[in-house]
Amino acid sequence: MFIQDAADQRHKRRFDRRAVLLGVAQTAGIGVLATRLYQLQVMEKDRYAPLSDDNRLTAQVLAPERGRILDRFGVVLAANRDEYRAVIIPSLARDLKLVLRRFARIVPLSDKRLAQIMKRARRQRPNRPITVATGLTWEDFSTINLLAPRLPGIRTDVFGRRQYFHGHSVGHVVGYVGAVQRRALGDDPVLRLPGMRVGRTGVERGADVRLRGRGGQVSFEIDARGRIIRQLAKREPERGEDLVLTIDTQLQAHALKLLEGYRRGALVVIDVAGGDVIAMVSSPTYDPQLLVDGISAREWQRIANAADDPMLNRTIRGQYPPGSTFKMVTLLAGLEAGIITPRTRVRCRGSFKLADQTFRCWNRSGHGVVDLHRSLRESCDTYYYELATKIGIRRIAAMARRLGLGQTYPCDIALQKAGLIPDPAWKRGRFNRGWYHGETVLASIGQGFVLTTPLQLAVMTARLATGEAVVPTIVHNKERTPFEPLGIRPEHLEQVRRAMHAVVNEDGGTGTKAQLSTGTIEVAGKTGTAQVSRKSASFKPEDLPWRERDHSLFVGYMPSAQPRYAVAAVIEHGGGGGGAAASVVRETMQWLVDRDPIARPAYRPPTHVNTSAGPADGRG
Amino acid sequence: MAQPYDYDYLAPLSVSEKLWRVNWLVIAIIAVLGGIGVVALFSVAGGSLQPWAEQHALRMLFGVALILVVAATPIRFWLAIAYPVYLVALALLVAVFLFGTLRMGAQRWIEIGPLSFQPSEMMKVALVAALARYYQWLPPHRVSNPIWLLPPLIMIALPAAFVLKQPDLGTAVLFIVVGLSILFLAGVNLLYFAAGAAAVAALVPVVLANLHDYQRRRLMTFWEPDRDPLGAGYHIAQSKIALGSGGITGKGFMKGTQSQLNFLPEKHTDFIFPMLGEEMGFIGTMMLLVLYGLLFFVLLTMGLRCRNQFSRLLIGGSSVVVFVYLFINVAMVTGLVPVVGVPLPLVSYGGTSMITIMFALGLAQCGYVHRREMLRRSDMGTIC
Repeated sequence: MFIQDAADQRHKRRFDRRAVLLGVAQTAGIGVLATRLYQLQVMEKDRYAPLSDDNRLTAQVLAPERGRILDRFGVVLAANRDEYRAVIIPSLARDLKLVLRRFARIVPLSDKRLAQIMKRARRQRPNRPITVATGLTWEDFSTINLLAPRLPGIRTDVFGRRQYFHGHSVGHVVGYVGAVQRRALGDDPVLRLPGMRVGRTGVERGADVRLRGRGGQVSFEIDARGRIIRQLAKREPERGEDLVLTIDTQLQAHALKLLEGYRRGALVVIDVAGGDVIAMVSSPTYDPQLLVDGISAREWQRIANAADDPMLNRTIRGQYPPGSTFKMVTLLAGLEAGIITPRTRVRCRGSFKLADQTFRCWNRSGHGVVDLHRSLRESCDTYYYELATKIGIRRIAAMARRLGLGQTYPCDIALQKAGLIPDPAWKRGRFNRGWYHGETVLASIGQGFVLTTPLQLAVMTARLATGEAVVPTIVHNKERTPFEPLGIRPEHLEQVRRAMHAVVNEDGGTGTKAQLSTGTIEVAGKTGTAQVSRKSASFKPEDLPWRERDHSLFVGYMPSAQPRYAVAAVIEHGGGGGGAAASVVRETMQWLVDRDPIARPAYRPPTHVNTSAGPADGRG
Repeated sequence: MAQPYDYDYLAPLSVSEKLWRVNWLVIAIIAVLGGIGVVALFSVAGGSLQPWAEQHALRMLFGVALILVVAATPIRFWLAIAYPVYLVALALLVAVFLFGTLRMGAQRWIEIGPLSFQPSEMMKVALVAALARYYQWLPPHRVSNPIWLLPPLIMIALPAAFVLKQPDLGTAVLFIVVGLSILFLAGVNLLYFAAGAAAVAALVPVVLANLHDYQRRRLMTFWEPDRDPLGAGYHIAQSKIALGSGGITGKGFMKGTQSQLNFLPEKHTDFIFPMLGEEMGFIGTMMLLVLYGLLFFVLLTMGLRCRNQFSRLLIGGSSVVVFVYLFINVAMVTGLVPVVGVPLPLVSYGGTSMITIMFALGLAQCGYVHRREMLRRSDMGTIC
């Protein structure tokens, strides 16, 4: 008994110590849990709260209506036509396959389409609608709505399909819309809507965000299975902006008709007063409506690979050597540097030698003694060859950029090309080679590396005509800031302008074809011939295959005395600049003049209203 | 015989005396925890007593009754049947291993007619009783003798091995932790624990290589829960979101979006704690932990007041059983340990684990009620 008690005593002492230790261990364990909970619920609570909302909230985006596009006189160029369609929200359809099969009894669905829808439903979030059928007739649309209770998850809606007007003439400017490309997804949830279209080219692309508007949103609370529990908030979509272009559709159509006399060409008309681009024509052209309505891959191939590439907007993406239309740049660079004066004379013997290279003037027999005025009027190349190395490529390139070349403009037309104004730094970066004097000689007459787009040439012409840094506008903008002066001395500009006037209006000028029949309104301009192949120097254009003929260019403005319109035209393989391009520009300007009320004869009171009664205004 | 405390031994207690000696503070804490469970289950069901809250309340009543019945039973009875019950439980575990029914990928159940039950649950209580019985019998000077250490280690290792085969990692961990805690309380030399810890550290790589695929996957998703957010890691991720978004004050009763909208899985059973954390916040979870802490503290003081080793170890063992449940559950839902499927004691809905816990707490009460008994070798029944 005693031993037993003693044993119990030892048991008890040991147990008491160990029990307290165990209590400490349990307390420590609870401490660990409490610390972890402090970390989750106090320190990191801001991280988890939004995650919880992500779980329970879902939003359905409501599509905004795309803004319309109008021309400067309000002619509708792009609008939306209501189209009926049916979509399915998989999370609301208990049995997706059954619902789709029932639906197919109203509007037939191919097995392939059914499989497509099922596949998409598996792959995306269950609350995102999938288009089941588009282009429904009113009858089908009403039937579906009537049977809606038997078709859980099917929703009908009306959405705007893009419709283009005058697409043939303005297609290149307006552009077209297409399905959202995968890499463009991300920022705006509207882009993920089924059937959503965004601008692919032209103004549709350049001003896409303004045209698109802002999507509305309905948010729902959902449970873990994605079923909607209740609607929380709704924000109506904001319609996209209507855009008014500066384009004159009638002028555009007229100019296109002129260009269609040749295989490929481009023409740009700018109102120099505000920089409005009133025509921007590229030929051949295409009808954007075809692309919107959805065409087969084969048909797309047919358009995209057609001869003469109708999809190419040559006014902003066609890059041509400017040829002699670049001579104004060289002249101004020389004048501003003090290297050229109106009295600077060069003897043209038909060619120019630099080291072992020979550069030919277009006139093989030579122009004789040439000064600034004559050099431009008769487009003597030797004059520029002689002076080019003295002026230097850097000055020429700087002047070209000052006149708007070698750059894209912040106007709302997408996919502009910048052209190329070469300089030693560019060549070093591109070819890792030094700059040769011979390249300066070539650049001085707009050949060699120099590339420009018709839009840039029109901007250059507008800047020459006004002396201001004209920036083109395609979408009409209410608030306008006046252009800054170019900072070129007015007498230098005046000398160049006089020479450009002589090109068209003086005997011996290369651009006399651009004279208007009206007579009272004079045009100033410059022809350009961009060499495509070396053979063109030794053959007449008619004797060469079309593909090897020179490009024909003409830039000009009118009226010469008080410039209003600047025009640039390029006819690909059109021969010399004095021919095709000059006549297209003349016809365009003639149309502008004819339509301008100021050019029409002013109203005079009929003379037979009694002279005997004496003048009514009391003058004697 | 003349010692003053011996009168207890001489005069057996009546039932009313036994009920008087029950620690009613523990019963109160159990009732509060069960009540929290009822409220939580009411909220989980979207403000309805069905299907869980009412049933849970009834089970709580039954459980408290069970505690009292177990507590009032003479302690010599439990002492006498400790070994036989252990052997039966072990036999049933073997039977499960041989003929058991597969449920949810694990072989844990035995079905006898309409009844189905888990021998591993029975073993949780049996192990505590059997080990307490062993150290009641073993003289103190032999406790740290390596030969006399071997039987209890085998008593722990056998059931642990069988449940690990089922496979049921959570229960195996419970057997080992509870068993070793009883050895610790019985006074086994601390050097053995140090040596054991070193051996385990050496064995970890071996065990990792022999884990079932599902166990290894669970471990992997535990280390990198973001790797598979919609698969196995989903549980942990949603549970952490529920707790974290609850913040300090919680989203309010019945306003927890994670649980009300079913993002939280198993929210009425294993994941009831994050559900409470979401609706009641950090304040709520801390109050719950404090309540459990109080339970363990009271059980500790109960143990200190007992005069026989059997009572002491029954109380200590039961306390560790509840503690292991709590720790594994909360550590699991907070992403500290892998998901092993252990309920929150007394709060989670579920009959089997509740009976186990109630029975364990009943044995603790029984030990406390008979705290003055001096047990002798003659009290220990037929098996040594």
